[in-house]
Amino acid sequence: MKTFLKELIDIKNWKKKTKITGIVVLGLFALCVILALMKPSEADMKAQASEEMQELLKKDETGTRKRVTVTYNSLIIINYCSFSSSGANALSEKYVGFAGHIFRADEGAGKFTGQMVNYTYRMLGSGENILHGAKLTLFLTTLSMVIGVAFGTVLALGKISKNKVISKICSSYIFFFRGTPLMIQLFVVYYTLPAVFGFAWRDLFSAGDEQAVYKGAFIAALIAYGLNSGAYCAEIVRAAIQSIEKGQHEAAKALGLSYGQTMKLIILPQSVRRMVPPVCNEFVMMLKDASLVFAISLMDITTISKNIMTSEISYNVFLPALVIYLVITAFFTWIFDAIEKKFSLYE
Amino acid sequence: MAQSEYILETEHVSKNYGDLVVLKDINLKVKKGEVICIIGPSGAGKSTYLRSLNQLEKITSGKIFIKGDLFLHRENDHTVERIDKATQKALLLEMGMCFQRFNLFPHKTVLQNIMLAPIEVKHEDRETVKAEALELLKKVGLADKADAFPNHLSGGQQQRVAIARALAMKPEIMLFDEPTSALDPELVGDVLQVMKDLANEGMTMLVVTHEMGFAKEVADRVLFMADGIVAEEGTPEHIFEHPENPRTKSFLKSVLNA
Amino acid sequence: MKTVKKIAALLGAAALSISLLAGCGKKAEEKVETAKSNIDLSGIKFISDGVLSVGCEVGYPPFEDFAEDGKTAIGYDIDIITEVARRLGLKVNIINTAWDGIFAGIDNNYDVVCSACTITPERKESMLFSDPYISNYQAVILKKGNNKKITSFKDLNGMTVAVQKETTSDELLSDYKSTGTISLEIVANEKVLSCFTQLDNGEVDAVCVDSTVADGYLAKNGDKYIYAYKDETEPEFFGIVMGLNNTALQKAVNEVLAEMEKDGFIKETLDYWFGL
Repeated sequence: MKTFLKELIDIKNWKKKTKITGIVVLGLFALCVILALMKPSEADMKAQASEEMQELLKKDETGTRKRVTVTYNSLIIINYCSFSSSGANALSEKYVGFAGHIFRADEGAGKFTGQMVNYTYRMLGSGENILHGAKLTLFLTTLSMVIGVAFGTVLALGKISKNKVISKICSSYIFFFRGTPLMIQLFVVYYTLPAVFGFAWRDLFSAGDEQAVYKGAFIAALIAYGLNSGAYCAEIVRAAIQSIEKGQHEAAKALGLSYGQTMKLIILPQSVRRMVPPVCNEFVMMLKDASLVFAISLMDITTISKNIMTSEISYNVFLPALVIYLVITAFFTWIFDAIEKKFSLYE
Repeated sequence: MAQSEYILETEHVSKNYGDLVVLKDINLKVKKGEVICIIGPSGAGKSTYLRSLNQLEKITSGKIFIKGDLFLHRENDHTVERIDKATQKALLLEMGMCFQRFNLFPHKTVLQNIMLAPIEVKHEDRETVKAEALELLKKVGLADKADAFPNHLSGGQQQRVAIARALAMKPEIMLFDEPTSALDPELVGDVLQVMKDLANEGMTMLVVTHEMGFAKEVADRVLFMADGIVAEEGTPEHIFEHPENPRTKSFLKSVLNA
Repeated sequence: MKTVKKIAALLGAAALSISLLAGCGKKAEEKVETAKSNIDLSGIKFISDGVLSVGCEVGYPPFEDFAEDGKTAIGYDIDIITEVARRLGLKVNIINTAWDGIFAGIDNNYDVVCSACTITPERKESMLFSDPYISNYQAVILKKGNNKKITSFKDLNGMTVAVQKETTSDELLSDYKSTGTISLEIVANEKVLSCFTQLDNGEVDAVCVDSTVADGYLAKNGDKYIYAYKDETEPEFFGIVMGLNNTALQKAVNEVLAEMEKDGFIKETLDYWFGL
């Protein structure tokens, strides 16, 4: 990190390509800052409601039932505000705020823009619930991959161990978790385990916590995904370890290094580079598999997009969903590429 | 440790994979400072013998003594007797090894390759090790390559680094397993020169090689192996000028004419 | 090791920026006005004190759905259960749950389920139902312009019909088909919306759904579909579901529902959501 910053500050020595990229990034950043500053304020947006809507809103203040939902979404450079009443004769008014202006967004391009902002905002994981949408997908995928790689390395070392008992246990574990569907593993962790051992996942959090059920479900999901990914990563790590030529083991042994030292200092560091592409693959698979959490009441990007489709009868929702997935995938592919480069410097 | 005039001895060392005999009843006594070259056609068991000395291969039966201690005694693929773990480890460190394919650690720089074992295995002081490593690099003529990665070096340079790496552990015996076989002909000379220097300094060396010139010039004793046995042994002069065994004769004829 | 730290820092930064980006929504302190009734709740153990936790598959309009802000649950069921809780002097906490396993969560994750649950004899063996708060029929919907007369399910003979998977419509038509009463092709979908999309696209000839759902759809899309048939012979009733041992809560809920029926709350809510 330090050297990276140093290189960043030392502009004169930037390579030409880096320079161009830097200028483009800075330019876009500046544009975003300007647009963000010009964006209409939340208060202005909320003041747009028509008189009819104002009346309904006033009624809500005194009534026991809220009939109008006010939605305000802000995405850095653009914001969206809508007032919608519910029921068979629903009313709705939509506004998009951009570059200092507020536009009506009830039909045509305005409506489409509004939808995009609203859908994107929701899929990114709006509101108070931290385990929602893209945030849920990212946290779950990243954490379970971290668990998976760490646990998978242990399993891989166990599987290739000379101790037959350990090797058998690890092989069976890998066989079991690769041979059964993740969805069922998720169900077993979330439903069967608590039933057998007499606990509830929500008990991990205080009874007064309104989000306890979701948080508990997240823990269960993390465990199931981590266990599953451990099995897949184990095979990746094992293949990588075994792809390192025998001569490396022999040289280490001839120098007096123990088995553990050989693995830690010689074999594993060299395997990393070979692990990166398949682990990246596994990560992308996991990213998509994260949608299975809908089965235990969590809402990831896919689940939210399906929900929006149902409630708004709109198929445009899949557009931002695809973009969000692509951005996440691109970001992580870039990271994995960087890791691979880092570990293949010596080649 | 027991006193012995021999630094390394093997008695009746044999090895077979099932019915295939790889080594058969090999007896050798090596004195300190001796340079022994092992020659012979491929498949003769030269490398296997060398590798069995530092436990990279398991022997089927026989005894190995290091510095007079019975290091290992096996019969019928079962260990009959072996020295305690700590001594075993210490004695193994007395043997350095260089491989045909160098087997440098590609993810570490030249300097890190050399420093690794003294620090991790012997737990020596990092600064001392570094100074010694740089000294060794100078000795093999690669002082300027300390921070290069092995894959950026030529084969000859890599092999010299490998020699330096083995020497960093200060072994009493050096085992060379066809150190020049994987090299382009023009790179062989530098490596052989380093080995000659080492021999002149009094290092005990066992060298499996196809470089007859080197054997002739440097070796105190030459072993000719064929089909898992030592077919003939003697001084370089004896082996190269007056070979007795017809197999030695035909082998020498084929390699020297090639 | 350095690289690992770098990556960790990057990931951290990414996660942080996303949470900043998306986490701007402030949590509004919603104070639900509770009207203390004279119903005795002392014998009832709630998962969270003073709160009625409700399991609900939010995503079945017009019974339950998320409003445009993506977090406020709205719908007929939500109105009913919120009012029930209010009259019991409780706050309400809607817990969005997948339909599969929704009943397994009773007493573990929530106190009751209110999610358009049909009262059936089989279900009654393993759980308690409140008195019905809405009645429902099976309905057949056709595309506008299709003038086929349907007076009973037998008229579906030879058609391809879309249903929502594992609903009463699915079971009913499957029964007809397996007994050979009528021959038809059944397309079972995960979501009701898919059924209507298939009808739009001409992939199916008709949709068979709950009349309540059909009412909700047709109220918004009256120009696209025709309400072809409603089977009034076999009404179904929706009830609020409780754990088998929670008779005290069942009694309390029933008392409140009766009150709501009496003072017109239910009628008014039906009118609001279904335009009946």
